[in-house]
Amino acid sequence: MDYFKLTWKNIIRRKSRFFFTLSAIAVGIASLVTLLSLGSGLETEIRKQADVLGANLVVTPRGWCAYEQISVLTGESLPEAIPNTDVEKITAIKGLTAFPYLTQRTALRNQPVPLIGILPTRMKQFKNWRVDRGRYLLDGANVVIGSGIAGQFKLKPGDELRVRGQKFSISGILQEVGNRDDLAIYMNLATAQKLYAVGDKVSFIAVKVDDITRIDQYILEIQAVANVAVSSDKQLLKSVLAIVGSVGSALKLVAAVAILAAFFGIVNTMMTAIYERRREIGILQAIGAKKRTIFSLFLWESACYGLLGGIVGVVAGFVFSYFAAPYIGQNEFTAFLGSEQSVQLFSAGITLKSLVFSVLVSALAGVYPARQACKLSPVEAISYE
Amino acid sequence: MNNAIIRSEKLTRIYDKGFRTLALQEVDLQIPRGSITCIMGPSGHGKSTLLHLLGGLDRPSSGKVFLDDIELTAITADRLAEIRSRKIGFVFQFFNLLPVLTALENVQVAMMLAGTGKKEQAERATELLKLVGLADKLQAKPNQLSGGQRQRVAIARALANDPEILLMDEPSGNLDSRSEEELLEQIGKVNERGKTVVIVTHSETVAAMAQQIVSIRDGRLVSGGANRAERPGGKSL
Ligand SMILES: Nc1ncnc2c1ncn2[C@@H]1O[C@H](COP(=O)(O)OP(=O)(O)OP(=O)(O)O)[C@@H](O)[C@H]1O
Ligand SMILES: [Mg+2]
Repeated sequence: MDYFKLTWKNIIRRKSRFFFTLSAIAVGIASLVTLLSLGSGLETEIRKQADVLGANLVVTPRGWCAYEQISVLTGESLPEAIPNTDVEKITAIKGLTAFPYLTQRTALRNQPVPLIGILPTRMKQFKNWRVDRGRYLLDGANVVIGSGIAGQFKLKPGDELRVRGQKFSISGILQEVGNRDDLAIYMNLATAQKLYAVGDKVSFIAVKVDDITRIDQYILEIQAVANVAVSSDKQLLKSVLAIVGSVGSALKLVAAVAILAAFFGIVNTMMTAIYERRREIGILQAIGAKKRTIFSLFLWESACYGLLGGIVGVVAGFVFSYFAAPYIGQNEFTAFLGSEQSVQLFSAGITLKSLVFSVLVSALAGVYPARQACKLSPVEAISYE
Repeated sequence: MNNAIIRSEKLTRIYDKGFRTLALQEVDLQIPRGSITCIMGPSGHGKSTLLHLLGGLDRPSSGKVFLDDIELTAITADRLAEIRSRKIGFVFQFFNLLPVLTALENVQVAMMLAGTGKKEQAERATELLKLVGLADKLQAKPNQLSGGQRQRVAIARALANDPEILLMDEPSGNLDSRSEEELLEQIGKVNERGKTVVIVTHSETVAAMAQQIVSIRDGRLVSGGANRAERPGGKSL
């Protein structure tokens, strides 16, 4: 006989109560795991995209809503709204470099592909792109493509593609950089503007500054020359994360309520168990159990609920987020989560965190009942039928 | 150290639960080492209360209890638990066994609490259950045992840590006369091995094997520490 065996026998003595209490904590932990695995997927994705942009400031048209700001990060096509004159004025400001983007969409074999109009030389320098095959030529008849697109559609330098009815030749393929930049077609800005008939407008401007400490100064200067909104990459990231956070907080509420309910479920189960077993507690004390032995016996018991419920919950949570991810992905704020790899299907970190949390919550739920248990006087417990 | 293994001085116990019950009043008592002592008296007059106090299971309202030279009434709850574990075996009046455990496991638990290794637990528990005639009931749960068998499991458990003292509260309460005889035989054997036995009982048969009879009326000793010769109708051993 050992303490673990004794605890286990006590836990399973009331099968249905064991089952229901376990279910409660399992549901709570499952919702936590779902939240964490979806949430961390979202956040890593957004942070990754912010890094891809690589700019210190983002200049957007005034009055853009947060969704459009997210799209700057995600590479969705955007309305074009900043005129070339503004681009030039901003470029003229000393100490910063401006990179205008015209984000559009085209199709390759009926699949949508982002097409981005850029200033070729400036952008190449800014992004530190290297050419993998072919050469870097963007003009009225030539485009370059990311390695991802090349792989996906089996394209090589010299191949032709059609954009809005016009033929372009692929001059080169960029070296893989491991992010969204691999998944676009790059076109000379002026060509793209003509092709998409957007006049002299661009979607947004990424700005790199020489002196990062003067960033607030730059924001003022930019706003002085053009009627635009300027946000730093950090602000942008923050506001995007806030929006995603608000999507997540619904899930958080569910998880919190479920775990709170499970917490009180365990308290209740333990209180009932202690009432039922007050005589047995008396017996144990009489035959030599110290108060702290009784206390830890009950604490282990409730922690056990946490461990078992936690294991069931973690498995259920990952299974659920696997099936739920596509639906949540349809939410417009999280649209770019469509690609499966952004949702973590299994994470050792989340598993460990959730299990530890589950055991802690359950153990905490057991503290009060266990204290009540070791306060019982052995004599009173035994004396009467 | 004198011949008494347990000694009480002016032991008083008042229960105060809404109303006060003076369950035990200034009891001075000595339990001789290696003896069988019976505590007798009408129902509700304080026998169980006295037994619990002598075994360090309860604390008196006033007065002292000594076990050897240890003042039980002055030590911490943890020390008391240790002493209960190693030096004292209890058999209770009503409820003794943990219902989820088998007979064997019930005996083992007492050893587990004393820190005995698993292997030794199993060996010794089996041996003890054989001693009380339950070799074929090792794996039975308490609800599969008769009242007398349960009582015997409790005795086996009380002996698990080889205590010096065995305290029993109405061990033959629900037993027929044949089972009672068996029980007395067990107790006799235990006593022969040098253990001090204190039994609360209503049974004359049980009392007949005692060297000392303690009678209690209304929480007071009637013939405190009297030996059985002073008791009218007593038989000598
Ligand atoms: N835990 C308790 N709380 C309150 N009163 C108690 C408690 N235990 C015992 N009493 C009271 O103390 C008195 C003595 O009780 P005790 O159990 O010692 O009697 P007893 O002699 O063992 O009786 P019986 O032969 O019926 O077992 C009784 O009046 C009882 O009501
Ligand atoms: Mg009694």
